[in-house]
Amino acid sequence: MFSTPAKTDDSHRMRNTILIAVGAVVIVATYLYLVIGQPTEVAESSTSQASLIAIAGYVIGAILLAAGSIHRLPTATIAMIPVAIALNIVVGQLVSILGLPVYLDSIGTVLVAALAGPAAGVVTGILTNVIWGLTLSPLALPFAVVQVVIGVMAGYAARYGMFRRFYLAPIAGAITGIVAAVISAPIAAFIFGGATGGGTGALVGAFQAMGQSLLGATTLQGLLSDPLDKAITFTIVVVILAALPSRFRQRFPFVRQYRVFGKSAPAVTSKSASVTETEG
Amino acid sequence: MASTLYMDRNSPIHRLNPVTKLVILVTLIVIVFAIPFWWVAMGVVVLVIVPAAVVSGCGGRLTRIALTILLPIVVVLFIVQGLTFPGGRTALWEWGPLALTTEGLLFALGIGSRIVCLVLASILFVLTTHPGDLLSALTERGMSPKFSYIISSTLQLIPAFQDRANGILLAQQARGLVVGKGLRGRISAMMPLLAPLVLGMFTDVEERATAMEARGFGSTAKRTALTPVPDTTAQRIVRWAMPVVALAAIILPLATGAL
Repeated sequence: MFSTPAKTDDSHRMRNTILIAVGAVVIVATYLYLVIGQPTEVAESSTSQASLIAIAGYVIGAILLAAGSIHRLPTATIAMIPVAIALNIVVGQLVSILGLPVYLDSIGTVLVAALAGPAAGVVTGILTNVIWGLTLSPLALPFAVVQVVIGVMAGYAARYGMFRRFYLAPIAGAITGIVAAVISAPIAAFIFGGATGGGTGALVGAFQAMGQSLLGATTLQGLLSDPLDKAITFTIVVVILAALPSRFRQRFPFVRQYRVFGKSAPAVTSKSASVTETEG
Repeated sequence: MASTLYMDRNSPIHRLNPVTKLVILVTLIVIVFAIPFWWVAMGVVVLVIVPAAVVSGCGGRLTRIALTILLPIVVVLFIVQGLTFPGGRTALWEWGPLALTTEGLLFALGIGSRIVCLVLASILFVLTTHPGDLLSALTERGMSPKFSYIISSTLQLIPAFQDRANGILLAQQARGLVVGKGLRGRISAMMPLLAPLVLGMFTDVEERATAMEARGFGSTAKRTALTPVPDTTAQRIVRWAMPVVALAAIILPLATGAL
């Protein structure tokens, strides 16, 4: 058996569930408050506390989710996460140096989420941006919540069989991209004023000149680039996963339990204790 | 851990407990975001960050890194918001659908000063704090050691990862892979690079997991620190006072009706 599950008693399980629930509620509440609760006057003034709420709500929510998720992970998954984060950062950096019009900075997050579930995706996502902040640029930190959402979405996509067929993965990726664009729009608007980079800034300016509000412009800009970016990411991941030997893939309890790749593995019929341990 | 920005100096800022610095950093960020006037952020930069940078001896490096990160963003911010800000009314200069407005420039100044403050303070923190010290100080205070393991292990892994990617690229070229010119050539060169890279890195993981389990990594027992991080009473007081300052910064503008 690949994993040796840590023994968590019921009180810890309860605490972790509460942390995850509160984290998710904080993120959703932050988004709803910024988008619905505070209309135009907030979006059109830099002298408001919208940016404090955006940065605080998203960062606290992401930290709570990660704190609740990490205890669910067996050592085998923990050992895999640094590789996935390095993959995110090295490929993301390479792509930005090549000047491609996509980010591709979440290949590792999606890969881990597909093999080990949403909880592993959450931890990979937030720590990617923490390490990006430590090594390259602190401006990645406010966007940590986006990677967290990508990890969750990719984990559930894997659970519901979106990685079984090549044509399903880009669809799941595009849906993840839409959610990522919507979640990241308030950060781009209220913290960065739409100026997250040269090309994206020009797009935001163009949408504003057409009469959009700041938040509307950053949302549209995100919807233009994120679904495509995540569809490509998910496709790359499904190709990588197909290239990995079946022996390696089937080692993961999450893969066996939810038949992520569609093949019925022997462990599906006889669920062992470790199988239930990693469910997301 | 070679890949972070950390600079080894022996200054009072470097000797502070990492958690104290982290608490001060968070408080500064809360202050500039809670009292949203550009002169507050600029005041924090001039009165806190610049003196701290001079004392730490990392001023030159800080300036260089901050310029490469901030310059493109601030320029784009002023151009985009100065010209197309939706709330702009007072036009200083007009050209077709574009108008340079006072409101737009003030908005850019408000947002820009905050980003400058955020970036300068965080980079100074990273420059003066050894990641190992920070992680062991946070683990002593109850952060899961799993976070420390992942972060420090990744920091060591990134250079190895880049070496391995170069090695695979050379091997594929020796086999006859052509790294094409232009966008499509570069993308098509990615796949033969990624699959062996991922497979190789992930197969190492299994052995590492077994070795970690054998040394009690999954254990939930309380650990003692091998190298305790230095701390003083003054710093403990500062760490208690800072959240109060942050809270005051949030409440004050609302209570006085400045917003």
